[in-house]
Amino acid sequence: MPRFTTITVFAITLALWWLASRSGWVSAFLLPAPATVAETLGELIASGELLRHTLVSLRRVALGYVLAIAFAVPLALLFVLSRRLRDMFEPLLEFLRQIPPLALMPLLMLWLGIGETQKVGIIILSCFFPIFLGVRGGFDSVDRKLIDVGTVCGFSRSQVMLRIVLPSALPAIVVGLRIGLGYSWRALVGAELIASSAGLGYMIVDAENLARTDIVLAGILVIGVLGLLADHLLRLAIRRSAPWLAGDLEMARA
Amino acid sequence: MLELSGIGRRYRVGAEDVIALADVDIAFPSGSLTTLVGRSGCGKTTLLRILAGLEQPSEGEIRRSDGRPARIGVVFQEARLMPWLDVSANVGFGLRGRVPRATAQERCAAAIGLVGLSAFAAAMPAQLSGGMAQRVAIARALVQEPDLLLLDEPFAALDAFTRRAMQNELVAIWQRRRPTIVFVTHDVEEAVLLGERALEMQAGRIVGREEIALPYPRDPTDPDVNLHRRRILARLMATPAPVPD
Repeated sequence: MPRFTTITVFAITLALWWLASRSGWVSAFLLPAPATVAETLGELIASGELLRHTLVSLRRVALGYVLAIAFAVPLALLFVLSRRLRDMFEPLLEFLRQIPPLALMPLLMLWLGIGETQKVGIIILSCFFPIFLGVRGGFDSVDRKLIDVGTVCGFSRSQVMLRIVLPSALPAIVVGLRIGLGYSWRALVGAELIASSAGLGYMIVDAENLARTDIVLAGILVIGVLGLLADHLLRLAIRRSAPWLAGDLEMARA
Repeated sequence: MLELSGIGRRYRVGAEDVIALADVDIAFPSGSLTTLVGRSGCGKTTLLRILAGLEQPSEGEIRRSDGRPARIGVVFQEARLMPWLDVSANVGFGLRGRVPRATAQERCAAAIGLVGLSAFAAAMPAQLSGGMAQRVAIARALVQEPDLLLLDEPFAALDAFTRRAMQNELVAIWQRRRPTIVFVTHDVEEAVLLGERALEMQAGRIVGREEIALPYPRDPTDPDVNLHRRRILARLMATPAPVPD
């Protein structure tokens, strides 16, 4: 979408928000005015509080996301390589996939305590399946006809893997990585909801307890902006390293 | 000389064996241009895949008189280009790591020029028409400088004008370099226009053979071309088509 249109849509949303709070359609307590939220945001930045919470959240998201990749990619590759393993464990994984990670929170608290492990664990669970399914689906969907081309060229198995299978699987892997990144941000607030003393999710929940909807909104805005930035950086990295995937990236809007 | 003797290919479908090829005995003299013609599903593509080494025969053997493995180039029914590579990289796909980079670039440029796509060397496959993509696939096969060039209905998706031009181009390349060519088609006219001989296939067997000693380039309206065409058609029509179970 052209940048001008994007900016216009954001501007209209902001104008509607301003109008709703200014005209009194919605109580200022429930929906503080944009100026109030901006002022609060300024205070949070000046006091260093926002940076502290943001760094804690960023660390959790980064750790959870990287660990999810570290678990999901090898497991997906094992499933691709071993039909038997896949037949054995796929039903169990499908069962687990249906369970929202937040529903596991009470159990995770019992098993992992209320420290960082439990919070990072929630993020891992949230982004594991999109990444796992992306990698597995990518390798599964490689066109056999392209592999024939490699065979005719006299490629070895490793050459077929590196020069045909991997680049063919990359679009689906990229889609999985991008959706996974989005899910990790979504899981963040849930992970920081309970027994937390820092992080953007904590900041939001704490503000709600103090009836400070301006801080709640400031926190939500920051999470949205950080999510967008992370997504943008991932897209930029992919565009640089694999420009032919530009079309597939657009499919990955989760 | 490439000789096939007693080649058969069976597939297991459910509890039954389906015979795709049976008792195929053919010899392809070095530097010959042979067309394989027959209805869809008669086993032409299976035979070509066996020649390309993409499938193993269930029985029979393939021998080369000189004993050394052939450099094989294959053009499939679809272009099968790597979508992440540009035209030049697609053409040189099988050369990387085998010949020096400068030689590879030179050969790629020559092959791309041969199929008339020099202006599109940097284009991505998604930017090409079906006909252009197929020409890239032909260049990819030619750049290998193959001893054995296998083509599986490569012009089926092209418009009549491009097809005619590509047929002439293929004959010109064959006359210049003399690889052994096996060209699969279901179009009897194409089989006559291109082949020194046309082998007729029906239900997995070679059922006829037509020697076509006409000069190139051949004209579809030439009465002699029509005569060969009528003879092949008469034989293929006389053999009953297999009835699907």
